[in-house]
Amino acid sequence: MTKTKKSPGFPSPDLVRAVLKGHSGLGLAFAALLYLVCLTGAVAVFANEFLRWENPGVERMETMSAEAVQTAYRAAMNRTDGPVEHVVVIMPSDDRPWPTLRVDAEDGTRTTWIADSAGRITGEVRESWTHFLTRLHINLHLPQSWGIFIVGLSGVALLSSLISGLLAHPRIFRDAFHLRLGGSRRLQEADLHNRIGVWALPFHITVSLTGALLGLSTIIIGAIGLAVFEGDTAKVYAMFTPPHPAEDTRLAPPIDLRPMFASVAARAPEGQISYLVVEHPTEMGAAAMFAVEQGSSRLANADSYAFDRAGKLYYEQKAAQNNVGQQILGSLGQLHFGWFGGGVVKIAYALLGLGLTYLAVGGVNIWLARRRDKGRPAPGWERVWAATVWGQPVALTCAALVALFTPSAGPLIWTWGAISIAALGAAALFPPVTLSRIGRAATGAILIALAVAHPVLMGPGDPMVWIVNGAVGLIGLGLLATLIGQASMFRRTLQAA
Amino acid sequence: MNGETLLAAMAAILAGSAAGAWFLRRAWTLKTGKAPWRWGGLALLGVTLVWPVWVLGEARGPFIALTLLSIAAFGVIVPGYTLRPAKTGRAAREGLAPEPAERAPSAWRTTLRWSLAGPIGMVAAMGLGISYAVWAPGEMQTRLLIGGLIVPLAWGGAMAWTLADSRILRATAVLMGTAIVGFGAAMLKGFT
Repeated sequence: MTKTKKSPGFPSPDLVRAVLKGHSGLGLAFAALLYLVCLTGAVAVFANEFLRWENPGVERMETMSAEAVQTAYRAAMNRTDGPVEHVVVIMPSDDRPWPTLRVDAEDGTRTTWIADSAGRITGEVRESWTHFLTRLHINLHLPQSWGIFIVGLSGVALLSSLISGLLAHPRIFRDAFHLRLGGSRRLQEADLHNRIGVWALPFHITVSLTGALLGLSTIIIGAIGLAVFEGDTAKVYAMFTPPHPAEDTRLAPPIDLRPMFASVAARAPEGQISYLVVEHPTEMGAAAMFAVEQGSSRLANADSYAFDRAGKLYYEQKAAQNNVGQQILGSLGQLHFGWFGGGVVKIAYALLGLGLTYLAVGGVNIWLARRRDKGRPAPGWERVWAATVWGQPVALTCAALVALFTPSAGPLIWTWGAISIAALGAAALFPPVTLSRIGRAATGAILIALAVAHPVLMGPGDPMVWIVNGAVGLIGLGLLATLIGQASMFRRTLQAA
Repeated sequence: MNGETLLAAMAAILAGSAAGAWFLRRAWTLKTGKAPWRWGGLALLGVTLVWPVWVLGEARGPFIALTLLSIAAFGVIVPGYTLRPAKTGRAAREGLAPEPAERAPSAWRTTLRWSLAGPIGMVAAMGLGISYAVWAPGEMQTRLLIGGLIVPLAWGGAMAWTLADSRILRATAVLMGTAIVGFGAAMLKGFT
């Protein structure tokens, strides 16, 4: 009888080991960046809620009349020194029930105002925390083009890790429901890493692919322009944006928006204007573009109407007639941030985002545990990683606390940076377990302080503020409870011993 | 669509996903007679991903369903956790994935490998994406967006491959060839 050699099947053990090597190297190289981008992304899902939290006393409304928008836009222009390049009016919506008017001056200054339902400017929008958080996620507060590219690169690294992670997981079905906690640290971390990685795979692919495309868009458009448009990237952008009216820089009174509102209402009686952009409002060549939500079930459901100074419609794009490319473009942001299914999807996105954050954390934990198992522990890296993981929640919550005292994002960036560095410094003094306890205790305590201090300092108002403060306080209590639970378990173990 | 319809649809998606995941878990725990549970679970999950197309929208529906499916699946997995004793020794290690491959350290190979995973992989992926945008049929915007989506996917794939493949010169040749052919083909035709 001859013995036949059994084929190892796909993926072969050698392939798995080779892919694991690449997966491990890539994960370690990008771990800290992925952790920061995923953590801030999970929190930034609630950017609109945070903006309401930062502006609790603002008058809430469902709609705003054309007359009020015209009054507010003129008032915002009057408050700006020098010529105005653009005015962007974000209309009240379910997510943010008050309007903002952003005025971009020709000298590069940018101011965002809030108006009441009569169109009176009530003050500048307060957005230090929201701005700090979203820009940390989008460009790490680095110079715009570099920062966005680095974040886009982290999206590619995440996609690559998902591909290699799947290939390196030959027991994907056999372990599909295993969640073994306690015992071997490495097995526990591997189970958490693999279950989160596999069962939330559609979410991981969606956010990493959309994030990578958003981050790399400038460089991709640059390459397309270089390869096929002789370096003229404006031709690429022009395919996706409304055309501009003929340039005419002669000075003129600010463009009147009211006839355009009437025209939009006649063309889309069921529509709701989500925002409008006024270009060069005090030039003869002024124009205004309206985005109108039609309330359909499409992800990208905004019609566009563009008018010249005389109120003549010169461009119209119906969402129903969008081609696949325009639909994808209009859906990218919503799919990336989870803004396509109301509060339930936002909460799901935040939870899955925290899961993705844990993938970055757990990957390094597995590597550290493997080294320990093999008798080659890396205590220095264990401390640095614990300091990184627990330093960021402390740094972010401290930045949020500082936001109660300043409308400017600058002090928040400094606070976040200083605490991040201090946390890394603490790695030289404390073991990982202590770092984790200090981090949890500090984050929990600051979150509770934030929930208590916010209504005292900023006053009540918007019901969303109570929801945000309640959630923040509960998360803080939860973190402290895990510490107390651990301490009592430790005491019981000692007594038993 | 009003808020009540949306919430009801989401509750149904969560229920369908949780039931589907529970069926699959039941199949996973059984020694025999797995098939009906497995096929039942897969069918339930499939139906739960499809019906929201008609209720919540052709793109919005499946994306909401996919998002909530993950949450429901964790709802089934987490309560089924097992707590292991502190010392599990060899039995625990048997449940682990294989060890990563060991490679002899070499500075030039490491540099080349990361160059392939980084800039060279990026250029090759762009060549692929741009040549798709130039040569594929369809509307200009669609070709550009799909070409754009190809770039991070191809770059991620190239990264995974080059960091794993021990035949590094083969990876170099393939990526450089892809970049040259991709950009060359795009420049040859131009965007029309």
